[in-house]
Amino acid sequence: MKSLLAMLKWLSRGVSVVALVMIGTTLLVRFAPGYLSDSREMDARYAAAAQNELSLVAKQSRSPLGMVLNEFSSWIRGNGGVSRQYGVSVLELLGPRLSVTGGLLLRGLGWSWLLAILAALLSSAGRRPLFLWQVPSTVLLVVPTAAMATVCLIAGFGGPVLVMVLCLAARDFKFLHSTFRNAWLKPHVLQARCQGISPARILVAHILPAIAPQLGALASLSLVTALSVLVPVEVIFNVPGAGQLAWNAAINRDLPVLLAATMMMAVAVTLAGMTRLQMSDWKNV
Amino acid sequence: MNMRRGAFVLLLLLIVAAGVILLRPGASYSQQDRAALLAPSSHAHLAGTDAMGRDRLIRVAAALLLCLSGAALAAALSTLAAAVIGTISALAGSSVGWATLLLCDVFLALPWMFLLMMVRCAMPLTASPLSSAAITFLVLAALGWPACARAVYRGALQLRNSDWMLYATATGLRRSQILRVLVPNLWPLLLPQFLVSVPAFVVAEANLGALGLGIGEPLPSWGGMLLELDNSALLMQTNWIYLPVALLVVVLLLLEAITVEA
Repeated sequence: MKSLLAMLKWLSRGVSVVALVMIGTTLLVRFAPGYLSDSREMDARYAAAAQNELSLVAKQSRSPLGMVLNEFSSWIRGNGGVSRQYGVSVLELLGPRLSVTGGLLLRGLGWSWLLAILAALLSSAGRRPLFLWQVPSTVLLVVPTAAMATVCLIAGFGGPVLVMVLCLAARDFKFLHSTFRNAWLKPHVLQARCQGISPARILVAHILPAIAPQLGALASLSLVTALSVLVPVEVIFNVPGAGQLAWNAAINRDLPVLLAATMMMAVAVTLAGMTRLQMSDWKNV
Repeated sequence: MNMRRGAFVLLLLLIVAAGVILLRPGASYSQQDRAALLAPSSHAHLAGTDAMGRDRLIRVAAALLLCLSGAALAAALSTLAAAVIGTISALAGSSVGWATLLLCDVFLALPWMFLLMMVRCAMPLTASPLSSAAITFLVLAALGWPACARAVYRGALQLRNSDWMLYATATGLRRSQILRVLVPNLWPLLLPQFLVSVPAFVVAEANLGALGLGIGEPLPSWGGMLLELDNSALLMQTNWIYLPVALLVVVLLLLEAITVEA
């Protein structure tokens, strides 16, 4: 019964965060000064058609409450609104791209985690000078994703996965290094090392279970970082994913598509964060 | 590099950037020399010119000043907002605290890049370059406060439950008097948050600009200059095109050095 209540509380918080995100972003878009403007207005050939469409949108979005309800009903109907640019359902546009983005995210997150954990293990357990690890990670950390992607593209070296891996691994490494370092210096671990127990056994039996909550927190943070890295990477490498669609929608002022893409990403982040919290709660129970 | 050295080198860079602009009277970041499009390094243009004949050195110096001051101002605003919201919600009671944490959750659930794109694309088509710069940094400030507000809320909550605070409340100190003592105690939390936000905002602006959604032309910005790298024809003609990226990395390394020590 207690766990059922906890689950209901978890679900209701998740749903309320997502609903607030939807209301907030819809109102933000509605009250933005450029909401009722379209780049086609600049072109005499399309200006009249664009103004007609915009007057229709203006009528539909006169009341903010009505607009929010409209947004909710479009999600319930399962189309997520209609794209201003293409005139088709937003989910129809997003659907195929989400699988591309999901694949890129999974590969990026997986490889970056592997790289960051290996590097952090070596740097925290070994006796080599720390700067051997710190210098490359700091340099990678400060280079903006767009610059890194552009340089990779110019050099003809690597692709979207490599850029994502480097960006994410550099961020994760810093946190993982200090976490592993603190864990290796715990008194019981030091004693186990003195007694000659193999580092691999200590790692599996003592270190990894002790730092599991921090790893969970880092996993959800990595997802947020990955979603921010995603857009420049997909745009620069011309990957037909949700990030590129969102950028295209931003350039062409297709707000329904951009709103839906933002919502999808917000749901992913909320679910990841709340799953992590729930897992740490279950662990504590 | 320690914090003081990092801060000194950064200050020196800013002075040099200001000097580059001030020591060339009449020259401006938007002035075009149509006879010298994509010119190599010369006495008139030390780092050459861009595809529109604008002096690259002046543009890089102006971008450094604009982006750093904008990011610092945005970081100050977001830290101030976080301090006010976090402190008030910690002192006001559990329901206000719960609502604040929920609001922070909502903001933190929104990926920055997507929200930035959404806000930038919902700006009027006729927005001037200066207002696009102001909007970009204001949006960054508006998105940057929740993580900091959470930390401040927890810090202020700990202070509220501390012995000296209970004693102060019991002896009848007014809320304004308590606040006067509380705020300096939050300083060790706020300073690192401010310092972390500055490079984060510089990078966010650069990424946004590189996607064509940042500060409008002709105002120079890191992001706008990163866009030049997309043109492979330009890359073959001059190496000075890499100057903005190189300087950006140096500035961010200096900011990182300052932040780590703080």
